[in-house]
Amino acid sequence: MDDSKGTNEAIVQGQQANNEKVARNQKPVWETPKLEDVSEQVMAQPYIRFT
Amino acid sequence: MRIDQLRAPLLVTWQLTRNCDLACLHCCTESAPGKRLPGELDADEAMQLVRGIIDHQVPYVMLCGGEPLVVPHFLVIAEALGAAGVQLKIETNGQRFDAQIAERLARLPVRSVQISLDADSEDVYRRQRPGGSLAKAHAACEAARAAGLPLEITFAPTRLNIDQIEAVIERARTLGAFRFNTGKLMRIGTAARLWNKLEPSTEQYRNMLDVLQRQATAIEDSMELCYLPFSIEDGLRRSFEEPPATMLVLPDGRVKVTAALPHVCADLRRQTLAEAWDAYRGAWRDLEVLAEVRHAIADASLHSRANNWKVLALANV
Repeated sequence: MDDSKGTNEAIVQGQQANNEKVARNQKPVWETPKLEDVSEQVMAQPYIRFT
Repeated sequence: MRIDQLRAPLLVTWQLTRNCDLACLHCCTESAPGKRLPGELDADEAMQLVRGIIDHQVPYVMLCGGEPLVVPHFLVIAEALGAAGVQLKIETNGQRFDAQIAERLARLPVRSVQISLDADSEDVYRRQRPGGSLAKAHAACEAARAAGLPLEITFAPTRLNIDQIEAVIERARTLGAFRFNTGKLMRIGTAARLWNKLEPSTEQYRNMLDVLQRQATAIEDSMELCYLPFSIEDGLRRSFEEPPATMLVLPDGRVKVTAALPHVCADLRRQTLAEAWDAYRGAWRDLEVLAEVRHAIADASLHSRANNWKVLALANV
C-alpha cells in the first residue's frame, strides 16, 4: 500500500483550503455608494459642476 | 483609492444626446442642432442602462446632453430612475422646459434642475447661445420654482458675457436658485475651436473673481456660490490625487475616463455597469492615462483633443 498517496492528497486538500481562505480574505469589502458622498465629488469637477 | 472601495459609481453623468436646439459658442460637447451622434443609444438600449444603474444601486444620476429635453424618451428615463429612488439632476438650457415638464419632474426625487443663464441681456445671451431666448430660459427657471423644484444656475464665462456675471448672480438669487455655479471657460469642444474669440482676458478673470468674492460675502446664506476649483486643470489635479467616483457616459454608451482627456475605457452597450466600473478603476492605474492627466494639468491646450475619443487598450471596447 502506498501511504504517500493519502499524504499527498491531504497536503493538496490543505493547500486548496488555504488558497480558498486566502481568496476569501482578499475579496474586497464593497461599499454601496451613498448619496451623501456625492456632492463633494461633483463640485470638485468643474466640467460636471457648471457645463 | 476611494474608487476601489465602491461597488459602483456615486454619480453617473449621462449625456443622453449630442443633439441640441442651440449652437452655443462655448459648448464643451460640440452640440448643436442636427448634431446627434451616430450610434446614440436608442430608447430600449437607454432603458437597459437605466436597469443597470438601478441594479447597481447608483444613488445619483445627472441627465444632460446636448440638450436632454430634445430626446423623445427623456421623461421615460427620468421617471424610471426616479421611481426606483435614484436621485436626479437635470441639466437643461431651459428652452423647452415648461410647466408641464416641471410638474412631472416634481413628482420625482430631483435634487437639482440646472439651467444655464449665460447673460442677463437678451442680445448677449443670443450672441453666446445662437438660437436661444433668455426670456424662455427665465420662464423655465420660474416654472421649475413654481413646481417646487430646486433650481441651480450656471454661467460659462466668455469674452462676450463675463461683464454681466454680477447681474446674473443677482438674477439667480431673485429667481430662487439655491446655487450658482461658474468657473473658468474650458478649452474643450466648440470653445476650443473658437478659443481666440472667446477666452476672457486676465483682467476680465480678475474682475470676475473680485465679483465672486464680494458676492460670496454679500449674499451669505441666501444662495450657494460655487466657483472652486476654478479651472478644469485644478479639478484634474484633484482627480489625479484621488480619482472621482463618477462615471461619464457618452451618448453612444461609451464611458470616458475624464472629461478633459479623449480616453474611453468601456462600452455600456456591450458591458455591464459593473464591468465598466472595473474598467474605469483600471484606467486610473494605467500609466498612459496617468501620464496624459499630468500633461493635461500642465497644458490646458491639450484639452482641445478631449472629444477625439480614443479607446484604451485595457478595455473590452
